[in-house]
Amino acid sequence: MIRKVRQAAVIGSGIMGGGIAALLAGAGVKVQLLDIVPFDLKAEEKNDPTARNRLVKAGLDGALASFPSLFFNKKDAGLITIGNLEDDIETLSECDWIIEVVVENLGIKRDLFTKIEHVRKPGAIVSTNTSGIPLKDICEGFSKDFKSHFMGTHFFNPVRYMHLLELIPGADTLPEILEFIAAFGEKNLGKGIVWAKDTPNFVGNRIGIQGIGAIMKAMVEEGMTIPEVDAIFGPALGRPKTAIFKTVDLVGLDTVIHVCKNSYDLCPDDEQRAALILPEFIDKMAEKNLLGNKTQAGFYKTDLTPEWKKLRKVLNPSTMEYEDLVRPSFPCIDAAKKRTTLKEKVDCVLNGDDKGGKFAWKMAANSFQYAANRVPEIADTIIEIDNSMKWGYNFEMGPFEIWDAYGVKAAVDRMDKEGLDVPANVKQMLEKGNTCFYKLENGINYYYDFSSDAYKVVPTGKSRVSIAAAKGNNKTVMANKSASLVDIGDDVFCIEFHTKMNAINEEIMDSIGEALDYVDKNGVGLVIGNEAGGMPGAFSAGADLSFVSKLCHDKRYTDIEAFLKKGQAGIQRAKYSPFPIIAAPYGMVLGGGCEVCLGADRIVAHSELYMGLVEIGVGLLPAGGGTMNLWKKYITALPAKTAQDTDLAKFFVPAFMKIAMAAVSMSAAQARGNGFLGQADRIVFNRDNLIGEAKKEVLKMVDDGYIPPARQPLIVMGDAGQGMVDSEIFNLLNGGFMSEYDAFLAKRIAYVMSGGEVKTGSAIDEETLLKLERDAFVDFCKEEKTIARIDHMLKTGKPLRN
Amino acid sequence: MRDAYIVQSIRTPGCKQNKGLFNQTRPEELISFIMKTAVERTPNLTPDHIDDVMLGCAFPEAEQGLNLGRVAAKMAGFPDKVSGATVNRFCASGLEAIALAFMRVRMGWSDITIGGGVESMSFVPMPGNMPRPHPEYARTNPEMYVSMGITAENVAARYNISREDQDNFAADSQAKAANARDNGLFTEIIPTPAYKYVKQADGTYTKEQFMVEHDDGIRVSTAEGLGKLRPAFSAGGVVTAGNSSQTTDGAAVSIIASKEKCDALGLKPMAKLVAYTTIGCKSDEMGVGPRYAIPKVLAQAGLTIADMDIIELNEAFASQALYCIRELKLEPYMDKINIHGGAIALGHPLGCTGAKLTATCLANLKEVNGRYGIVSMCVGGGMGAAAIFERL
Repeated sequence: MIRKVRQAAVIGSGIMGGGIAALLAGAGVKVQLLDIVPFDLKAEEKNDPTARNRLVKAGLDGALASFPSLFFNKKDAGLITIGNLEDDIETLSECDWIIEVVVENLGIKRDLFTKIEHVRKPGAIVSTNTSGIPLKDICEGFSKDFKSHFMGTHFFNPVRYMHLLELIPGADTLPEILEFIAAFGEKNLGKGIVWAKDTPNFVGNRIGIQGIGAIMKAMVEEGMTIPEVDAIFGPALGRPKTAIFKTVDLVGLDTVIHVCKNSYDLCPDDEQRAALILPEFIDKMAEKNLLGNKTQAGFYKTDLTPEWKKLRKVLNPSTMEYEDLVRPSFPCIDAAKKRTTLKEKVDCVLNGDDKGGKFAWKMAANSFQYAANRVPEIADTIIEIDNSMKWGYNFEMGPFEIWDAYGVKAAVDRMDKEGLDVPANVKQMLEKGNTCFYKLENGINYYYDFSSDAYKVVPTGKSRVSIAAAKGNNKTVMANKSASLVDIGDDVFCIEFHTKMNAINEEIMDSIGEALDYVDKNGVGLVIGNEAGGMPGAFSAGADLSFVSKLCHDKRYTDIEAFLKKGQAGIQRAKYSPFPIIAAPYGMVLGGGCEVCLGADRIVAHSELYMGLVEIGVGLLPAGGGTMNLWKKYITALPAKTAQDTDLAKFFVPAFMKIAMAAVSMSAAQARGNGFLGQADRIVFNRDNLIGEAKKEVLKMVDDGYIPPARQPLIVMGDAGQGMVDSEIFNLLNGGFMSEYDAFLAKRIAYVMSGGEVKTGSAIDEETLLKLERDAFVDFCKEEKTIARIDHMLKTGKPLRN
Repeated sequence: MRDAYIVQSIRTPGCKQNKGLFNQTRPEELISFIMKTAVERTPNLTPDHIDDVMLGCAFPEAEQGLNLGRVAAKMAGFPDKVSGATVNRFCASGLEAIALAFMRVRMGWSDITIGGGVESMSFVPMPGNMPRPHPEYARTNPEMYVSMGITAENVAARYNISREDQDNFAADSQAKAANARDNGLFTEIIPTPAYKYVKQADGTYTKEQFMVEHDDGIRVSTAEGLGKLRPAFSAGGVVTAGNSSQTTDGAAVSIIASKEKCDALGLKPMAKLVAYTTIGCKSDEMGVGPRYAIPKVLAQAGLTIADMDIIELNEAFASQALYCIRELKLEPYMDKINIHGGAIALGHPLGCTGAKLTATCLANLKEVNGRYGIVSMCVGGGMGAAAIFERL
């Protein structure tokens, strides 16, 4: 039998259920979303289907209204059918996978599974999204068939954005079921799989909640303040900006208290159980309903002055009053901010001898102890623990990786010196002469396995390709400060950018040229991709603006023209080169980064794609072929010869607006809707598979007998498009929707995209459009307001509307 | 010149663009139905008597193209000899068509001509399907192509028409319209067949017909409620969807016959067109048009505003209607202006509006037993138009 998920059911339409339904729908799965019939129906509503579905409707509406959106594309909601557990329970009999996401109450869950057991078709997979209740309690007494198809699938909130999916095998779950869900979760839903054992709070929350509890407890003991703690446990240690307390505000204090209590109640032997008794002020906050963002006040709150100015306040736990937020500073944190790699930062913070550094070390040592002691209790390997913290809590490194970064031996020596217990398994690892948890050898990643006291290969998917691993295996064939060309096997090469935010500079342009030469001689195709971290991470945030700024200030217009010419030539050469070139974008794909993708033969994109031509924000236009190529994507989407006879305005206006309004997609599906991705471009759900999938695409195109595209003139809108835009801009200007300068820029962009002074419907050379791009760019560089926009962006990171 | 009379003047209901009851009914059907009905309802008149059709339409293209004046006559079942033309003066098209029909009959070029107007904004929305402003002229004179909403904002800003006054005016229009509908005072409306494409049990679609009896855009509102709407055309502006005219589908016609023909056939004259004029103004404040057109037409006719018993002043926007009322010192005559509401409640089907307001004006003159009525509107591109009718 070949298993498929033709239809799935999600039971419970809260924020998690709605999120899971949205994710499944995004993956193209038909979903039955069910919830209970409201308890408070009036007599006349008892037979009214709308009233009976009120809760589930509200749940779906909530998911649709969420921001950032739980849906990749709101249209996906068309795959979701809503219903209630009384009238529609029979629909479960059609489902291949039934996911329970109801309230965390054992009795309620068991009642529900009793109903499900009656209607599910034989072989259907049933899973629970419980975050803490042991599976063995939930499925006790159910039939053998049920139990062998039952498991835990624990998603994290917000479902679309959190990479982690914890899979918990039940005692009787069939291996094929586990394998199937792992593969489906990994490939179709794009999740990172962590195998957890059936222990309370599983892996991520077990480790995460102890960390939060321990830090809160220590904060009170050491007399630290909330902002001080957040200053330490943020980006300086590779954690999100929301650090500890802003994260709790985001998640909700009630949830944190609940998870904490669950760990405390169900883990009586946990050596750190004391940390799970949260400080007294937390209880007071809960009593006062200071639960975080959902109650508009938590550890932090934002007041508005009568002038609508934001006043940030923070709770003082000793007085329970809110005080003005003053950003604290520690020498070691300030120093860490200047370091580039996380290893350097960790080194700087944990060795800091100020109050912040000492506190950071104390908590790091505590987290090392706790994590090491959890293997094999909650998971068999250290990978599961590190991955759960990276994917479920957005840490850049998990506890063992941080420990590696600090130096395992150095940390153990310091722990010994300070009289802290060193976990036995780590002690033993060091005794055997092994000084790190992870290592990369010959392109293969290894982890230290406590149970066998040996290094083992980190498991990875078959078609997965890691640039980092290839580089570790001496597969770099060319490299400079900004980019590397890496052999990723089977005669396919990958050009990797590695500048700050992967901004495109002159060195990258030169590297692309050299890469084309190299691949022409030695390879079958090229992938443009990279593996930069971050949430969402940047494939490329645009062109190197500081370089452009300098040229503008120095009035080196000839150099600007040459810079553009080089960029355009590279992109054109790539397009018409005799081998396929695939762009593999993810996350932020802005400005020049977007232009690189538009020029590729095909795009294989990650589903989280924030793609747009945003140059107008800095007073410029896409002049790396982007203005031309966006138009080209629109016009070449038409069947042959229909373009001549089409109302070009229907394509020109939306294509132009994407650049004039700096439209950025909020997902790959939206990028397709915006015309940046065409029908031949692909969307990949799991970012870890992106380079591998792009490589596959190259090989497929080669196998199909690759022929480079023919150079053909492009049909353009001509001056008729300019008349349309100029008259419409007059309205926007008068309506106060754009500044005079925006209008000036937009009109010129319309001029370029429409092909300049040419009759509507003319077919003109690509080189003509590229020249118009360059001329406009250089002219914009001469404008004071453009320079002001560029400098403002460089200084503040935000666009200036002048 | 000989005398000419209106012997029939009727209209379809006005229904909201896209969301209204005519949203799937093509404009040809609206206009041919109302033309055919106008003839049928006129005792002693048959289609054989009609010479010509002057049909106003603001966007005579696509479904409204191919010379709808002639197509409609044929679809109405009129004989081959009935000719037809399409006339465009944007929002005054219907009035222009009636004036042209009068001219033809008075000149002796025709005995009986239909003047009317139609617009399906559902099928051909503003500004048409293929607007192509001239590239160089749009660069130097973009105001020629300015959006109507911006002109309304300009009028409000330049002449201090407050948001509150506009919302009050809009609420009044809605209240008057609701009252007239509920009391059966729209005697010029003819229930009109419409259709929708409805999915059948087997998955195929079928056109299903139904009757539309009332204007479907009337929405009783308070000034407070309207005050909550966001500006529709300008960030921080005062013109909203609530104090602007509705975009609408509809058709209306009048039949104009010579005195001789009336006598010969026994047609009963209802009214006559006393005077008609148009005038240009700045395009970026086109709403001021009636402020110039009304004095001009009154002077032509040798009448004063006090002689008017009914004033149909098209409510393209509350801002421009209020401006014209204030400038022309019409405040003392508020009980004669748009007595059953205006385009804010009833809709403004562009090219139909002139013909629609003519039908309304004549019905209202009859209701108040008045003699003179005036129909006036502003026109896109910067114009005003006004006509004076005398009820007989």
